[in-house]
Amino acid sequence: MANTACFMIVSKNDIPIYEAEVGTVPKKEDAAHQHQFILHAALDIVQDMAWTTSAMFLKAIDRFNDLVVSVYIKVIHTRLMLLHDSRNDDGIKSFFQEVHELYIKTLLNPLYLPGSRITSSHFDTKVRALARKYM
Amino acid sequence: MASFLPQFQSIKTTFDHVVLAVEDVSDLWPMVKKGFEERLPFKRAFLNNKTRNPVLVDELPAEFILTTDARLRSRFPQEQSLFWFREPYATIVLVTCEDLDEFKNILKPRLKLIVQNDEREWFIVFVSKAPAHNDQATKMAKKVYAKLEVDFSSKKRERCCKLDINAPDANFWDDLETKIMECIRNTLDRRIQFYEEEIRKLSEQRFMPVWNFCNFFILKESLAFMFEIAHLHEDALREYDELELCYLETVNMVGKQREFGGVEQGDDQATLLGPARKPLTQIVHDDSFREFEFGSIYLPVKQRGYSFIISFSKALTLHESMLPFCMREVWVITACLALIDATASHYKDGLAAPDVEKEFYRVQGEIYTLCRTKFMRLGYLIGYGSDIERSPVNSASLSMLPWPKPAVWPSLPSNASSEVLAKEKMILQDSPRPKHFGIQRKPLPLEPSVLLREANRRRASLSAGNMSELFDGRPNANDSSGPLSPLPKVNSVSMSRTFSSPGNFEGSIDRPMRLAEIYVAAEHALRNTISDVKLWESLSSIEEFEQKYLDLSKGAANNYHRSWWKRHGVVLDGEIAAVYHKHENYDFAANLYEKVCALYAGEGWENLLAEVLPNLAECQKIQNDQAGYLSSCVRLLSLDKGLFLTKERQAFQSEVVRLAHSEMEHPVPLDVSSLITFSGNQGPLLELCDGDPGTLSVTLWSEFPDDITLESLSLTLTATNNTDEGAKAIKSTEAIVLRPGRNIITLPLPPQKPGSYVLGVLTGQIGQLRFRSHSFSKGGPADSDDFLSYEKPTRPILKVANPRSLVDLAAAVSSALLMNESQWVGIIVRPLNYSLKGAVLHIDAGPGLRIEERHHFEIEKHEVGTQNMTNLDNPPENLSPVSTGVKQLTLEDGKIKLPDWTSNITSVLWIPLRAVSDGLAKGTPAGTVVPQRQSVVDGLRTIALKLDFGVSHNQTFEKTIAVHFTDPFHVSIRVADKCNDGTLLLQVILQSQVKASLAISDAWLDLQDGFAHAGKGDGRPASSFFPLIVSPKSKAGILFSIYLAEAPAKDEAKELQPVSILNIKYTISGSRNLGAHTPVAEELTGPDNDKAEYLTFRSELVLQRPVLDPCLAVGFLSLPSSGLRVGQLVTMKWRVERLKALEEKVASDNLDEVLYEVNINPENWMIAGRKRGYVSLSTKQGSRIEISILCLPLVAGYVRPPQLGLPNVDEANISCNPPGPHLVCVLPPPLSSSYCVPA
Repeated sequence: MANTACFMIVSKNDIPIYEAEVGTVPKKEDAAHQHQFILHAALDIVQDMAWTTSAMFLKAIDRFNDLVVSVYIKVIHTRLMLLHDSRNDDGIKSFFQEVHELYIKTLLNPLYLPGSRITSSHFDTKVRALARKYM
Repeated sequence: MASFLPQFQSIKTTFDHVVLAVEDVSDLWPMVKKGFEERLPFKRAFLNNKTRNPVLVDELPAEFILTTDARLRSRFPQEQSLFWFREPYATIVLVTCEDLDEFKNILKPRLKLIVQNDEREWFIVFVSKAPAHNDQATKMAKKVYAKLEVDFSSKKRERCCKLDINAPDANFWDDLETKIMECIRNTLDRRIQFYEEEIRKLSEQRFMPVWNFCNFFILKESLAFMFEIAHLHEDALREYDELELCYLETVNMVGKQREFGGVEQGDDQATLLGPARKPLTQIVHDDSFREFEFGSIYLPVKQRGYSFIISFSKALTLHESMLPFCMREVWVITACLALIDATASHYKDGLAAPDVEKEFYRVQGEIYTLCRTKFMRLGYLIGYGSDIERSPVNSASLSMLPWPKPAVWPSLPSNASSEVLAKEKMILQDSPRPKHFGIQRKPLPLEPSVLLREANRRRASLSAGNMSELFDGRPNANDSSGPLSPLPKVNSVSMSRTFSSPGNFEGSIDRPMRLAEIYVAAEHALRNTISDVKLWESLSSIEEFEQKYLDLSKGAANNYHRSWWKRHGVVLDGEIAAVYHKHENYDFAANLYEKVCALYAGEGWENLLAEVLPNLAECQKIQNDQAGYLSSCVRLLSLDKGLFLTKERQAFQSEVVRLAHSEMEHPVPLDVSSLITFSGNQGPLLELCDGDPGTLSVTLWSEFPDDITLESLSLTLTATNNTDEGAKAIKSTEAIVLRPGRNIITLPLPPQKPGSYVLGVLTGQIGQLRFRSHSFSKGGPADSDDFLSYEKPTRPILKVANPRSLVDLAAAVSSALLMNESQWVGIIVRPLNYSLKGAVLHIDAGPGLRIEERHHFEIEKHEVGTQNMTNLDNPPENLSPVSTGVKQLTLEDGKIKLPDWTSNITSVLWIPLRAVSDGLAKGTPAGTVVPQRQSVVDGLRTIALKLDFGVSHNQTFEKTIAVHFTDPFHVSIRVADKCNDGTLLLQVILQSQVKASLAISDAWLDLQDGFAHAGKGDGRPASSFFPLIVSPKSKAGILFSIYLAEAPAKDEAKELQPVSILNIKYTISGSRNLGAHTPVAEELTGPDNDKAEYLTFRSELVLQRPVLDPCLAVGFLSLPSSGLRVGQLVTMKWRVERLKALEEKVASDNLDEVLYEVNINPENWMIAGRKRGYVSLSTKQGSRIEISILCLPLVAGYVRPPQLGLPNVDEANISCNPPGPHLVCVLPPPLSSSYCVPA
C-alpha cells in the first residue's frame, strides 16, 4: 500500500469531480493543497501527452520529487489521476481499470449528470477499497 | 591518453568547424583567397551521417587554411589520429602554369608528390592568369590544363578544375563547391569509420581493469564533436547521449567512488557550457569527464542538459558527504543558469517549428523552476525563509526536497556573534503578514523537517550532542539513504519561535545551535562553497535574494507560458504576484493574481483558488478597486463552505454588505449566481386564468453565512412558448431578509399573458448595489459544455391558461313570460371552474322592460332537473318568495352583489321584471295565418348583464339575454253560425301561449258599435262554464251570441267604439322555472289576496259588417278517387259561380273578367301552369266557370291544398266551400323497383 496517494478524477473541462486521499499516511493538514496543486500542474503535461499516444494508461508522466503522477485517460477525456509514491505500476494500472469501470457505472446512473461532482458514497467506498487492494 | 584532456579542450575551441587545407603551389592564394572565402559558409552540403544516409546541411561553416599554417603543422601522429576531427577535410592544390615544358618538368612531379598521400582527399585548381584578349596565352593555358586533366583526373573522379582569373566562369564556383563537398563527404565517412572502430575496440575492453573511461570518453566525444562540426546534430546528440549513459554507469559503479573531487574552489560552478571555466574534468578526478559543448544547438541540447543536470545532481548527492556544504544546490543553480544563458542566446524567435519551439520553452521553464527551487533552498538555509511565500507551489517543491546532507553540518565560526545577533533580530522582527479577512491558516511548510533539528542532529552525529533532550529524539534512520529513498517522515511542524529564542547555551560548543546560528553558519559555509560572485551577491542580502527569486520566477513563468503550459506558468505568476504584493506593488500583484484565480476558477479547483483569492481581494481592496474587490468577496463566499471557517465567511459577507451600502463610485451589477440560487416551489405549479393576478412563491437558497437583507428583489418570468417577448419582471419592493439556507418568498404577480413560464433571472439590490443571479439550485457544473449538456430545468413555475369563459349567464326559462305583469326572470349564473367570490352583477333592463325595484331579488341554488319535478298543474308549494335555499338580495345602483356561497356553485338569480307593452292584443279571424314571428318579436325584451368578478374584479363577462314575453292567450274568432233570427254565434278561440295552466274565471265581451249582445246582454257566456281551465298550449273556445244592431247615428261618432274588446279574468299557476307564472306578489298592496290573484287580459277583436253577403261562390271540386301521390300530377278544379248578377257593370258581351290567384305553399306543391290570371265569367246570376290548375304534390301527408283566391273580390262577398281551411291526403310516391336485383 502506498504511503501517499491522492486520487482524483478530472472532467473534460479540467474540473475535479472526485478527490480522495487513499494513502496510508493521514493527510497532513498543512499540506492540504499540495497534492491538488501537483495534480493540477500535471494537467499541463497530460494535455501534451494525451494527443501523442493512444495508450490510456500513462504511467509516471510527472514527477515531483519522489511523488509520481500517473494518469489514465478515458475516451471522453475524463482523466483519472493518481499521485503516488509507490512503484507498483501494474497495481496502479489495475486500479485505474477498475475505477474506470466504476466510473462508467456511475455515468450510467440516469441521475448522475456527466461532468458534475461524484458524491456517491458507494463510489467513494469502492475506490478506497480498490486503492487498498492494488497499492 | 588522459594527458591529452587539457589539450582536447583547446583544440575543440579552435577547430569548431571544417578545415580545408590549401596547398598553394604557385603562390596564388593571395590572389584567389577573396573569391574562395566568399563562398563560406557553404550554403548547401550533402553529408552522410553515421548510418551513411545523406543529410542536407544548411550553412556549413568552414575555413581555408594554408598547409604552411602553423596550425596544420607539426603534430604527433598519435595526436593526429585522436583528434582527427580537426584535420583538414580536403586539400585544394592551387597551381598555375603557362608553359607545357614547365608543367612537365617541374609542376607535375611536384604535384605527384603532394597528392601521393592517399589518406587525403584532394583536387587541383588550375588558375589561368591569361588575359582574355591575349589569345596566345589563353591557348597555352588551355593546353596546360588539358595536360593536367590527363595526368590527374581519372575516369572515376574529376580532380581538376580551372579558374580564369580574368574572366571567371560562374560554373567554376559551383564546380569547386561540388568538389569540396565530395572531399568533405569522403573524409567524414572515413573518419567516422575510424572512430567507430576505435570505440568498438575500447568498448569491448570496458569491464577490464585497465579500461580507462577517459580514453573512451575522448574518442567518443571526438566523434560526437566531429558530427557537431559537420552540423550533423542528430548524430552528435546520439553520441553525447551514449556518452552520458556510459558516464553515469561508470560513476555509479562501486569501487569507483574513491574520490569525487569537487572540493576545490570554483568547482561548484557548473561549467556546462563555458569552456573558459574549470571543467568538471577535474571534479571527476580520475574518471575524467568533460562537459558537453552545447552551444550551437538549442532545443535537444537543452533537454539533454536538463536531464544531465538532474542525473548529475543525483550523482552529487551520492557524494554529498564529501562535498562542501550545499555543493549540490549551488552546482545545480549555476548549471541551470549557464544552460539558460547559453541556449537563450542561441535561440532566436521563429527559428524552429512551433512544436519544437514549445518544447524548447517548456524545458527552459523546467530549468528555471529547478534553479528557482534550489535557490529558495539556499535562501532558506541562510535565513530568508520568511521572505519565501508559503504557497502550495513553494511548499510542494521545498517540503519534499530533503535537506542537504553534509557529513557535518557547518558550525558557527568563532567571530560571527554580531551576525548572529543581526539574524536574531531579523527573526524577531519577522512576523507573518496577517492575511486579509482575518483568515488564519497554518502556514504551509517550506522544509522537509525542522531545520533546527536537522542541523543539530547532523552536528550531533559527530559531537556528543544532547539533542534527545531537546526534541523528541526520534532517531532518523535515513541518514545514508540515497535521494530516492522515501522522505524522512518527520512530521513537519512549522517553525516554532521557541527554538530561536536567544539561547541559554551561550559559550558551549556542544550545545545545540539556535536557528540564527544555523543561518549564520550556513551563510559562512555557503560563502566558501560559492565561487560565483553573482550568485553569492544574490544571496548576500534579502533585497538581492528577492530580486533573484523574482527573476527566476519570472523566467520560469514566461517560459511556461510560451510553451502553453499555462498551469505551470500561472502558478508561478502567483508567486511573482506574492512578491509584488509584499512590496506593495498592488497593481501588478492584482493583475497576476487575477490570472491565477481565473485559471483555478475556470477549472474549478476550489481548494487552490481558496489559497489565492484572499490575496487578490486584499490587493483589490488596497487599490480601491471596489468592483473587483466585491466580486472577489462574492467568489470567496461562493467557494465550498468547507474551505473557510464560518467566521471568515462572515467577514467576506460583511465586506460585501459594507461595500453595497457605501457610495460606490462605479456601481457594477454583481453576479451572485453562486450565492443566491432560486427555484420554484415543489409541488404543482401555479395555474392562473388569463388576466388574473396571483402570488408566486419562490424558493431562494442563500449561501451567505449570515442573514442578508435584500432591499428589493425581482424575478423575471420567461414564457416558454414565446421567446420573442422579453422576460417580464415581477418585483417585490419591500426588503427581504434571507436566512442562510432555504427561504421561501412570495411575490405579487400581475396578470400575465397566457402561456407557461419559467423563472429567468433574479435581480435585486443589496444596499445600493444591484445584483443578479441566473442560476437555479446547485447540482450541476455551471455552464458546462459537457457532451450531455446540462440544461437548466425548464419546469414551468407558472401557467396562465388561454382565455376561456370562466362563467356563463343564461336565462333560466326559454318559454314566454307574461306580458305586462311583473315576472321573475331567472338568470342562471354558472361559474366554470372559477370562483365568483365577490362578483358583482350589473343589470340593465332594455327598452320595454322595467325592473320592479320594490321587490327583493332572489337567488337560489340551481338544480338541474327541477323543471321535470315541477308539476305544471300542481304548482309547487314552495313558490313563496323566501324558500329554503333562496336568499333575498337588494339591487343597488343597478348592481347586485352575489353572495359568497354562490361563488362556486351554479345559482339562479331571480329578477322581478315587468315587460311593458302599450297596445292591446289583437284577435284574429280564425283560419288566417297569423305570422307568429311578429308576435314573438313584439314580445322580445333584452336584459344586458355585466358580471365583474375575479380575484380583483379584473374579469368581466357581459351578456345580453333575451326574454320572451307574451300575452296569455292568442284570441281568434269566427262566426260559427248565423241563425235564422239573425243571431250570430261568435266563437272566440283562446289558445294558451304560456307554459302554465290558466284558469279563466270570467270572460266578457265589450262589443263595438253595430253589434249587440243577444240574450241577457251582459256579454258573458254561461257562467257555469267558469272557471275554465286552459292547459298549456291548448285551446279553448267560448261562444258569444250577438246580433247586428243598428248602426249608431253619425253624430255620435265620438263615442264610437271601433273595436270589440274581449276581457278575460284569469289566474295563472305556473312555475317560474318553466315560464309564465303568477306575477310577483305585491306585498305592499296588502292582504287582499283575491284581488291580486285575478289577472285581466284584454284583447281587441274586430267584427265587421256586413257578414256573409256572397256574390261569388268558390267550390273546391272533389279530387280523383285514386287519391294523390307525391310526384303525380293532379288537376285541381274549382268552380266559380256567380250568386248575384253583377249590375253595375255593363259590358257588350255580358262578360266580366274575374282575376284569380292560386295560393300554395311552395314547399308542398308545385304548380304547372298559370298561377294568376283572368277568367271570363258572365255577369248573369248563376253563370259558372271551372278553373283547373295542374299541380304536383311534393310532400306526402295531410297537406293544405292549393287555395283559389279572387283578389279583386271582397272577401265578404265570397262564399267558400269548404268554408275553412282543410287538408288533403297525399300518398307517398309508389315504390320504385328499378334498382332491385331479382332474386
